[in-house]
Amino acid sequence: MSETTSTAGPSAASAKRVPVEKAAGQAAAELDVTISGIEHRLAAWAAEAGSALAAMSGKVTGTAVDKLIRPVVEELVQLPDGYAAGAGFIANAGLLGPERSYIAWWQGPDLEPVDALANFSPNSISRYVKAEWFRIPVETGRAHVTGPYVDFLCTDEYVLTFTHPVFTRPDGLVAGIVGIDITVQRLERGAMPALRRIGARATLANADGRAVVSAASDIDAGDLAAPDEPCRHYPVGRTFTVWSDAAGL
Amino acid sequence: MLLSPKGASRSLAAVFTPIKSRGLVDEVCGRIEQAVETGLLTSGQRLPNETELAAALGVSAVTAREALSQLRASGIIRTARGRSGGSFIADNVLPSRERALTQLHELSRLQIRDLALHYQAIAAACAGVAARRSDAADIATLRSFIPAEDDDSLSWRLALSEFLLEVAAIARSARLARELIRLQADLGTLTLLPCADSGYRGRTGVILEDVAAAIEAHQPAAAESGVKALIAATTDWLLTEHAKRY
Repeated sequence: MSETTSTAGPSAASAKRVPVEKAAGQAAAELDVTISGIEHRLAAWAAEAGSALAAMSGKVTGTAVDKLIRPVVEELVQLPDGYAAGAGFIANAGLLGPERSYIAWWQGPDLEPVDALANFSPNSISRYVKAEWFRIPVETGRAHVTGPYVDFLCTDEYVLTFTHPVFTRPDGLVAGIVGIDITVQRLERGAMPALRRIGARATLANADGRAVVSAASDIDAGDLAAPDEPCRHYPVGRTFTVWSDAAGL
Repeated sequence: MLLSPKGASRSLAAVFTPIKSRGLVDEVCGRIEQAVETGLLTSGQRLPNETELAAALGVSAVTAREALSQLRASGIIRTARGRSGGSFIADNVLPSRERALTQLHELSRLQIRDLALHYQAIAAACAGVAARRSDAADIATLRSFIPAEDDDSLSWRLALSEFLLEVAAIARSARLARELIRLQADLGTLTLLPCADSGYRGRTGVILEDVAAAIEAHQPAAAESGVKALIAATTDWLLTEHAKRY
């Protein structure tokens, strides 16, 4: 295929020697490193936040949560070539009050606060319990990726939200969630070079088979797609897959 | 320039002005009004002081102060002095029929018709794409926004706007979704009026079921004509009411 020989590689001669499949495998591995990197960073953050909240021994305040979370968000959103458009923490009911949640979430390089008005509401938990990015990690106690979806709460952008439960005790209830919003637009810039090396119709899809980024012009982000067999399947992160060849549904 | 007594944020006149000109103060007021309408903030509840409000919304203290005074002038909040003082959400602050009627009569038939055309164009585009992209989970969420016929007019109004927002969410277009949100803000409390009429609730309830079915069955044309009919039902009701004044 023309992709493998024309792509900028070490040199045209050595690129020819690398079998197509091996080059594609390397490209898929790069995508996996990117997505897994986000997932691992989030898991580490959840663990740190959990111990710090546990150390507050039941006296958790909004100000203390802000102080704990904001520096990490700052680091994530200001990372050069980073993917995070926004990030933060949302308390489960019980951490600060019975019906009360608490949102410590910021977006953009200027750290614009998200939904902070809700922190003045005594029943703010009602705002999050139905949202997939909050409900699933709280119910299952496991990490989750929501989307791609249009995020009405924060950016009104097309995003993926990676969320992870936060525990203050290993066997305890979920105290809250930490999460990172990744815009599909930024992911597309990072993923397209790798997808092009995999195939002219290579597609990164979520667990539901919805395209996140596709090299094919007739598959848009958000479209339901399927592998066009026979094709190669590469796992990317915990739940995503790259199909070397895909068709829109 | 035609501005409603409540300020530009809910005014239909805003439809003819660029977004940027709405200004930060109106934006803050709009957020708080929205929080009240959706039940996030309730009557009698204390609001943060201007420093806290400014920090929470990421605006300057001057902007927060101006927003609070604008909200006070429009009766959304009241202020008490002294030790237990501060700003509180006023009683009877929910959108009322009287306020909606005032808003309706400040508008010309031309403005109502033009807004409806814009709303139909955007909502129909959302519905068409949604019918291509829907999955089972989307449909379950969409149906959860179909209200029961005997729900009160406030919850009907909220459910109708949430239903269309969910159609935009299923379409997965950020631009169309943002435009829909802006149009709903421009419509303001107007949509409360027809929701008090059981005939209108009955008619639109059927349409909502049809739209959900068309999006589920991946039928873009039927979904588009369904949401157009939904908005036409609202516009017809408003124009009929508007005519009674003359």
